[in-house]
Amino acid sequence: MLSIKNLKASIEDGTQILKGINLEVKPGEVHAIMGPNGSGKSTLSKVIMGHPAYHVDEGAVELDGKNLLEMEICDRANSGLFISTQYPTEIPGVNNVEFLKMALNSKRAYLGQPEIGDDEFKKLIDEKMALLEMDERYRDRGVNDGYSGGEKKRNEILQMAILDPKVSFLDETDSGLDIDALRIVANGINHIMSPEKAVILVTHYQRLLDYIKPTYVHVLRHGKIILSGGPELALKLEEQGYDWIEEK
Amino acid sequence: MDAIARIKQLGMPRRNDELWTFFPVAKIPAPEFPDACASEEDFSGETDFAALLPVAQNARTMVQNIADGSEEMALLKCNNDFGRTVLNIGKNAKASFEILDNKVEHQISAERFDLHVGEGADVEIFFANPANDLPLKFRHFSIEQSANSTVRFSSIERGNGISRVSLDCHLRGNGARFEIRTLNVLGGSSESHHRLHIYHDVPETTSIQFSRNLLDGSSRASYDGSVIVGNGCTKAFSSQLVNTILLSEDSSVSVKPVLKIYHDDVECTHGNTVGELDADQMFYLVSRGIPAEKAKKMLISSFARELFYPLPDSPAKRRLLQVLG
Repeated sequence: MLSIKNLKASIEDGTQILKGINLEVKPGEVHAIMGPNGSGKSTLSKVIMGHPAYHVDEGAVELDGKNLLEMEICDRANSGLFISTQYPTEIPGVNNVEFLKMALNSKRAYLGQPEIGDDEFKKLIDEKMALLEMDERYRDRGVNDGYSGGEKKRNEILQMAILDPKVSFLDETDSGLDIDALRIVANGINHIMSPEKAVILVTHYQRLLDYIKPTYVHVLRHGKIILSGGPELALKLEEQGYDWIEEK
Repeated sequence: MDAIARIKQLGMPRRNDELWTFFPVAKIPAPEFPDACASEEDFSGETDFAALLPVAQNARTMVQNIADGSEEMALLKCNNDFGRTVLNIGKNAKASFEILDNKVEHQISAERFDLHVGEGADVEIFFANPANDLPLKFRHFSIEQSANSTVRFSSIERGNGISRVSLDCHLRGNGARFEIRTLNVLGGSSESHHRLHIYHDVPETTSIQFSRNLLDGSSRASYDGSVIVGNGCTKAFSSQLVNTILLSEDSSVSVKPVLKIYHDDVECTHGNTVGELDADQMFYLVSRGIPAEKAKKMLISSFARELFYPLPDSPAKRRLLQVLG
């Protein structure tokens, strides 16, 4: 499904942030990426989506055999990749629902499908908003405009639910969420997840993994995955931190 | 002194005249006047050529009186016969005026609007100029506001020629409030210039200025906004914010905020931003599958529309948002 091989990437001044990432994600899997601040976790999602602030020095990223690195950003998204950044961007003046409809229709156009009808779209968004227990205010507001941190994260998962991607890369989706919101968002992700899809979660805490059971847990440090394991690894990291890995 | 005599006394606008700092004055042709000015009104205190020109070119003035406490919606349209409009708005009246594109066919299309706004009145005046080929267009507004009155001025400029809006507003009564929102959507070699003087003549008055520019091609815009807070005018509040997005390398904007404050207990701010489309917003939209060209259009549209969102639900808001699509 998603294959990342020896991915190295730099920022404009030449500083290399990713120093050879290898990751294989198969359908039905949930991968948790943990690691100290500044280790390259957020950069990884932006690089595979093609953020212009980063330059890929080396490596390959494929989604179902297609080379993502050669594709336009919108085509990467429409091929089935979704990323949710740590700090979702605010876009005042762009209505949230109109934006969602345009994004969905862009994907449908890419896949050669007709535009979604008004009634069908309304039914879809009503269903997904109910799933995430979102109130009506989300419909009329600008994209993430004036939202609290938690509201932004919930809105990100709404987009994920509408766009129905194959692989979702969720960067610290649990930050800014209170206990109830965390449960709602996690349940939403579990509901969207299916044996044909995969999720990559970046998190600092076990609490999200209590709701979304990871298949694998990886530790990213200094731009490389230095350790991988099962769900028990996250528990050990929560107890002991990261230093023991380097000592080992 | 009549308007023609005053123009002759002032001479043609020059770049070293601070009212015309950013305007391409060399493109103003010497106007032709009738032998005598029909209006006997004294213009000896008027300093802006554009405020005098409609009176000097046109003998006739359309006067519209809005009665106390009434509600009025009107379309205003200047032409060769009526280059000047005087609006007398009564106490506690509510009025909405849309200025339609003019049919003035002089070398310079010049219009003048005088608003006398009564106590407690609520007035909106707005226009959305369609793209047209008028080479040179002046619009001058002279506004006097009584206590607790509100005037909301909103405009969209998107013509192909060179336009200049000049506006003098006197807040003469406590609680008077003036708001202006101007949007320039320009391309090619078009130009739009705004020159404002807002006078806080008494205590507890408010003026709000928002201007946004979307400039493409080799277009130019300028915003020259002065706020004058008189001595003893305590609790005056004034803000000015100009935001510009340059969509091309050859477009340019000039902004000159001027604050003349003769009293301590006031709050006056100004700000100015110039930039390109927000890279993070572009990335966000395309990362959701929206093609770059569509994303760019969405951001441009949102930048423009957002300017008018704070307006109350009114004919002005509906019309301006409709024009922006």
